[in-house]
Amino acid sequence: MKLIQKSLLLTLCLTSSLVFADVAVIVNTANDSQISDDDIQRMFLGKNKSFSNGESVVAINLDSGNEQRGEFEEKVLGKSSSQVKAYWSKLIFSGKAKPLEEVASDSEVISLISSTPNAIGYIDASKVDSSVKVVKTF
Amino acid sequence: MKKHLISIALVSALTSASLHAEIHLSGFGSVVGGMTTSSDETLSGYDDNMDFKQGSLFAIQASSDLGEGLGVTVQLEAKGKDDWEPDFKWAYVSYDATDSLRLLAGRQIIPFYMYSDYLDVSYAYAWIAPPEGVYDVPFDTFDGLGLVYTTSFGSVDASFHGVYGRNTDELEINLLGVDYQVSPELNGVMGLSASFTYDWLTLRAGYFTADVVMPITDLDNLADGWEQAGFNDIAANTKIDEDKGTFVEVGFQINYESIIVVGEYTQLEVDNSPLAVEDSYYIMAGYQFDQVLVHLTYGADEGKTDNYTSDVPYGVDPTLDYLKQATELTLANDIQDNDYIIAGVRYDFHDSAALKFEYTAFTDDHYNNSDAGLFRVAIVTVF
Repeated sequence: MKLIQKSLLLTLCLTSSLVFADVAVIVNTANDSQISDDDIQRMFLGKNKSFSNGESVVAINLDSGNEQRGEFEEKVLGKSSSQVKAYWSKLIFSGKAKPLEEVASDSEVISLISSTPNAIGYIDASKVDSSVKVVKTF
Repeated sequence: MKKHLISIALVSALTSASLHAEIHLSGFGSVVGGMTTSSDETLSGYDDNMDFKQGSLFAIQASSDLGEGLGVTVQLEAKGKDDWEPDFKWAYVSYDATDSLRLLAGRQIIPFYMYSDYLDVSYAYAWIAPPEGVYDVPFDTFDGLGLVYTTSFGSVDASFHGVYGRNTDELEINLLGVDYQVSPELNGVMGLSASFTYDWLTLRAGYFTADVVMPITDLDNLADGWEQAGFNDIAANTKIDEDKGTFVEVGFQINYESIIVVGEYTQLEVDNSPLAVEDSYYIMAGYQFDQVLVHLTYGADEGKTDNYTSDVPYGVDPTLDYLKQATELTLANDIQDNDYIIAGVRYDFHDSAALKFEYTAFTDDHYNNSDAGLFRVAIVTVF
């Protein structure tokens, strides 16, 4: 099974290095909330501040300029990186919201999410492991 | 005493690094170059000498989350036109009572306009700066209390922002056609703004009032003259002393796929004063081509004064004639009627910076010698 996955991955990499990898939105394995696409969008725009289980949302972003982040913003938020940045600067400089927590790599996202019950993040779909739960892949 | 404080600080720093909340630093800036298109034209502080100071600004914001809903935010901004003298725009303690209710205490921006909250964060909008004809209340901060409530009604996101406080900052303002350095008092600044967003449409409205005290020597001398002549009502009208100021705003914003349309209308009035009732509006339309936004704005600004000396006839008494003439001149100086077109381009050439070009064609329908064309270029950033 693993071998098949690996060879699939390899083929994918070889045939289409121009196509970005899919983005997986992930939460803590203990998080049993219902999360729709709209919820994900609103959580990463600071509009939705709690999960359906009542826990408050800690959304984790990748650093600015990260390819995966650009992919996520375009596919899931439906905006360009500049538009997302402009949106957040409105909230941050008016004191209406705090910026999302930012980390440098997929592995940091995984370790933060596996240790934080109310965190949500996104990573390269191929980096997902069993320590986190995938909400949806885009 | 000082030594004592230092040792306390040192001890606490050594023993409890974890007690100190993390400080988040961020900032924004604009470097704007501009010049008018001809030597006899001036507009927004520009003339025909290329200038890089007038519209340029930088700000730095520090915020810290103290835990349990408490936070501190301080924003220090310096503008070229103030000779880069820094000024606190925001300096407040916030308390998040719930996920949807935030209370603010301290120095804050008055949410007069659609773009008030991030007025100088040029990166956040299309223009180099929002249209001056509408964005022209001479002060934008206050010291006091604020309340921000956000909620949703079905798929409509709503936000309400209430304020109460006072502003006693010294101002340099152009009133009645003359530049004055004044120390006004804006007492009991109070008001509410509300905004509703449904998918691609945002509607907004604001209503604010304050008791305005604005000592201006020329007006006060004139008022004394009227008082000595026995015209107490006219004297009271001439002074700006505890007069009720009212500001009303309505606006909308459409963000539909690549199309953006924004419009705002404002009315500013100070009752019982020689100041004009000012009606202003603009409408902007833009289209986003990938990294380039092209936009066009039309706006107009109208100021009307009421000649409250009209009951006093000329030719009765030389002193009265003088007072009446001087008052009428003052009132006439505050009349304005102008419109403008702004054509601009924003180019998102970098993740945290954008390049903007703008041309403003200003037409003065009241004074026919002050038409002007202004070309500006800016690099704007957030960091």
